[in-house]
Amino acid sequence: MDEWKPNPAVKPHKKRSWYLAWKYKLMNQRALRKLCQTGAVLFLLVTVIVNIKLILDTRRAAYEEEEESAQDYDDEMLNVEVPRHPVSNKKVLDVEVYSSRSKVYVAVDGTTVLEDEAREQGRGIHIIVLNQATGHVMAKRVFDTYSPHEDEAMVLFLNMVARGRILIFTIKDEGSFHLKDTAKNVLKSLGSQAAPFLSWRDMWTFVGKKGGEVYGEKHTKSPALSTWGDPVLLKTEVHLTSVEGHEDEQSFFSLVPWPDAELTRRRKRFCSKVEGYGSVCSCKDPTPIEFNPDPLKDNKVFDVPVAVIAGNRPNYLYRMLRSLLSAQGVNPQMITVFIDGYYEEPMDVVELFGLSGIQHTPISIKNARVSQHYKASLTATFNLFPDAKFAVVLEEDLDISVDFFSFLSQSIHLLEEDESLYCISAWNDQGYEHTAEDPSLLYRVETMPGLGWVLRKSLYKDELEPKWPTPEKLWDWDMWMRMPEQRKGRECIIPDISRSYHFGIVGLNMNGYFHEAYFKKHKFNTVPNVQLKNVESLRKDAYETEIHRLLGEAEVLDHSKNPCEDSFVPDTEGRVYVMFIRMEQEADFTTWTQLAKCLHIWDLDVRGNHKGLWRLFRKKNHFLVVGVPASPYSSKKPSSVTPIYMEPPAKEEGAVA
Amino acid sequence: MQKINKNVVLALLSLTSLVFLLFQLYYYKFYLSQKNGAVFSKVRGSQSGQDSTRWHVIRKFLGLISSHNIPVYLIDPLILGLVDKDIEQIRSSPGGPSPGCKYFCAQSDFTTFALLDKTWKHEVGLFRTAEKMGFQWLKIINKDPRLDGMDDLSGIEIPLHYIFKLASHAIHLVVFYERSGNYLWHGPLRLKQHMDRKFVPFRKLHFGRYPGAYEKPELVLVSIDDLKVQIPKNPSSFLEEMSHSRFLECRYREARAFFQLYPDDASLDAVEFRKKAKSLLHLAALTLNNLGVKFWLSSGTCLGWYRQCNVIPHSKDVDLGVFIRDYKADIIPAFQKAGLPLKHKFGKVEDSLELSFQGEDDVKLDIFFFYEEDDYIWNGGTQAKSGKKFKYLFPKFTLCWTEFVELKVHVPCETRQYVEANYGPDWKVPVKTWDWKSSPSNVQYNGVWPVDEWDDVIQVY
Repeated sequence: MDEWKPNPAVKPHKKRSWYLAWKYKLMNQRALRKLCQTGAVLFLLVTVIVNIKLILDTRRAAYEEEEESAQDYDDEMLNVEVPRHPVSNKKVLDVEVYSSRSKVYVAVDGTTVLEDEAREQGRGIHIIVLNQATGHVMAKRVFDTYSPHEDEAMVLFLNMVARGRILIFTIKDEGSFHLKDTAKNVLKSLGSQAAPFLSWRDMWTFVGKKGGEVYGEKHTKSPALSTWGDPVLLKTEVHLTSVEGHEDEQSFFSLVPWPDAELTRRRKRFCSKVEGYGSVCSCKDPTPIEFNPDPLKDNKVFDVPVAVIAGNRPNYLYRMLRSLLSAQGVNPQMITVFIDGYYEEPMDVVELFGLSGIQHTPISIKNARVSQHYKASLTATFNLFPDAKFAVVLEEDLDISVDFFSFLSQSIHLLEEDESLYCISAWNDQGYEHTAEDPSLLYRVETMPGLGWVLRKSLYKDELEPKWPTPEKLWDWDMWMRMPEQRKGRECIIPDISRSYHFGIVGLNMNGYFHEAYFKKHKFNTVPNVQLKNVESLRKDAYETEIHRLLGEAEVLDHSKNPCEDSFVPDTEGRVYVMFIRMEQEADFTTWTQLAKCLHIWDLDVRGNHKGLWRLFRKKNHFLVVGVPASPYSSKKPSSVTPIYMEPPAKEEGAVA
Repeated sequence: MQKINKNVVLALLSLTSLVFLLFQLYYYKFYLSQKNGAVFSKVRGSQSGQDSTRWHVIRKFLGLISSHNIPVYLIDPLILGLVDKDIEQIRSSPGGPSPGCKYFCAQSDFTTFALLDKTWKHEVGLFRTAEKMGFQWLKIINKDPRLDGMDDLSGIEIPLHYIFKLASHAIHLVVFYERSGNYLWHGPLRLKQHMDRKFVPFRKLHFGRYPGAYEKPELVLVSIDDLKVQIPKNPSSFLEEMSHSRFLECRYREARAFFQLYPDDASLDAVEFRKKAKSLLHLAALTLNNLGVKFWLSSGTCLGWYRQCNVIPHSKDVDLGVFIRDYKADIIPAFQKAGLPLKHKFGKVEDSLELSFQGEDDVKLDIFFFYEEDDYIWNGGTQAKSGKKFKYLFPKFTLCWTEFVELKVHVPCETRQYVEANYGPDWKVPVKTWDWKSSPSNVQYNGVWPVDEWDDVIQVY
């Protein structure tokens, strides 16, 4: 810089000034200097402006870049955290809870979050869980504590709710008949004064924080057996914990050492929305949501779509999906959950497990609604998996056996090859603890049990779908499928020991008594990798040979004894016995129904028969029942034996269901 | 002395400014060029006029895809066009280093790949890695058409297109779905309100203007410009297929509205007829496809598709249209071989040809042959007893794919005009009595066959 030479840029000025000076002699050196100076200053100014512009431009470009990446981020985050209700800044919630014989409702800050005034529905204790920081509804349940065992479910649920949550209780109609002391004590521990004294047809509302303060409680006694307590309306205020508390929760989740980003993302999303799923949301050793069961060798059902038919019983669905995803050989990509109605919580459960779910606008009512939901689900399944030849149909209230897919993989070729088959079902209607024994044994039966079954696409597309009962018919889909017009004499393959377990107590056709009587004692296979035996003998003709062989080796029981007595069957193991009952024609099930009743197996309609023959186990012996003379196997009856006849009780009131 | 100093100072300052200015200009230029992605400019493809950026972006993309085990295949029509010319050479030399960058360096703003939906599921991880590699991405989702036909399922939205952008080049990833009828379908590309309309020049994309239907392609792994990619085994037939792949979805919503007005016939007869018509249509499609004869749903069958997305139960036959230029003498023996005897043959190849085949239990398959004129298309009809000829006129139309009773079939793209020509403006109202000689609104009397030709042009079996 020091070696400064005459600036060429200035030279023209100089020249010009000399010229000017020469032209206008009045001008002197001063004017020249001034001109030079002004030029230099102008030049400096320009430099400054350019400088500023450059700085601005660079900064803007950098900012834009930042913003772009931020937008991508936003987009992703948007999908992750969607609050259910707009978060208000208010720190106090107005809660209104109403309990009466025919109606309950809960309103939070004027928004009705529960309203149930349907007749003959929603009996029992309704519970709502609110997030203590945001006031969001995290869970909504009803426990029909008028019926047995529902109180146990309620206790289980309450134990799973995290401390600090706000709990709202209200009774509709009746909630105390089967509310045992254990449950009352749990309610008491939550701060309820009235819980220990709840009795027949009392009305009760209660709002409290789990492990904390009580916000309000109201209780009216029922004056007489035939009347209900007066309706109660509880209005109270709930103080929300500060937002920091909420943030704590968020950061708490982010600090939790849950591995695997994708799983953690799903878990976080789930835990921020719903409550009542126990250790799914605990930070230490949370319940896994991915199971990775062993794959099956040579799995023939890996590419078979699985349709899970669900309603609004999210905790059932949770249990069901857990067992399904734990079954060996499961392929999560083939599972679709069809939810009947726009319920959020079942969808949350589906997303927790990373499965795909589809919601279905409810059409029609009650049984027809279920039936339409089935049709839509099956059609959608075959649309989504156009290559599939079969579909596995499951319901949300089933436990799935660990060898469910292994069982199907070993038997599915029969459904493909044997035209006389209608379905393969995982459920044996007569397979109770005391009547099922052999996990490797299969039967052919004329009834369609449902409860976890395989449907052939051609059967659905060519026969069932076009004729499916229309919404106004109000039919049960399963009853319809069992009708001779549909079944056309075809049979289903079932296992001796069921590969599914029906745990649902709350349901359209279901209540606690019914469940206890007919489903609770059902046998359920828990042994993995059972090798089925004689699968080929399940084919139409081979099965007849098999039955004749069995009948040939069977010992005829003493028909003079009472078949209901335990002593009817000798105290042996592993033998084959046969008894003959009277069955005048194909549809005469009088004696069978009485026998089924005293054996404590399914007696509400006839299930599990094959040409007038029933196969079950008694005292670990294979026990065959042949209806004479309607059954073609009657010829096996020794002439000396008189078929047993059992008369129905004189005054029999219809079926339970 | 003082004055000189002042001048010197000023001049010095000016010079420094000038130097600064030059420096800044240089810096600015450098910054800009970096932003525009000239990062790769010195790496590959020193030949001028070639886009080596593209090659690098594709290589990065293929790396991304293979790190996530996602099987994609190349469907870019421009590249496939180039590849097709050298297909033998490319197929025979797998893996060998290629001399230059011949295909992936051709100037283009984007490259198109296809992805089969059922072969992957976990997208979250993919996007995360893509971002780490510097890609910007865009996902276009829309309703699942496979559930569209169902009255009341909340159609879940499915991804139809992805666009990955790096520097000045974009990768367009088209998602193909398998649908009933054993074919692949891709959706249209429609931007939603909030989307960045300038993300890429959407209008120039080769896929997405319309939905499309394709056969499942056979793929081969080849090495092009030192990159290993899957391509359709026969690029030229893929390109040919692409040129008329446009797909029309059935109008499910209108069909629902129709059934609200006119409840569906659920009688046993209707169920039976539909079943037979469906299997007849499947058989006919199989036979004609094997012969390579292009056909479309015509008359009542087309109306059934357009109006109610199903077979009209009282229509009693299945109608197909075929351009006379596609006529093959093998058609009759092929149908006979498939178990469908010829019932009647009217007209001749030069004029008013019509074939009828007898399906199972009185369900008839009619094949009408269409003749193209300069400004309209027509087919002919013949009355057997009088030898009278009729002519049915249609406005010109092209063919689109659609799905009907679990079959991928053609229908006229301009279906409404086609149906209206045939059935008049009241086509929405079901009519049970239909006289093919007088009811159609496009029928014209066309003279009488000369008596000496009757034996040839009126054959009834």
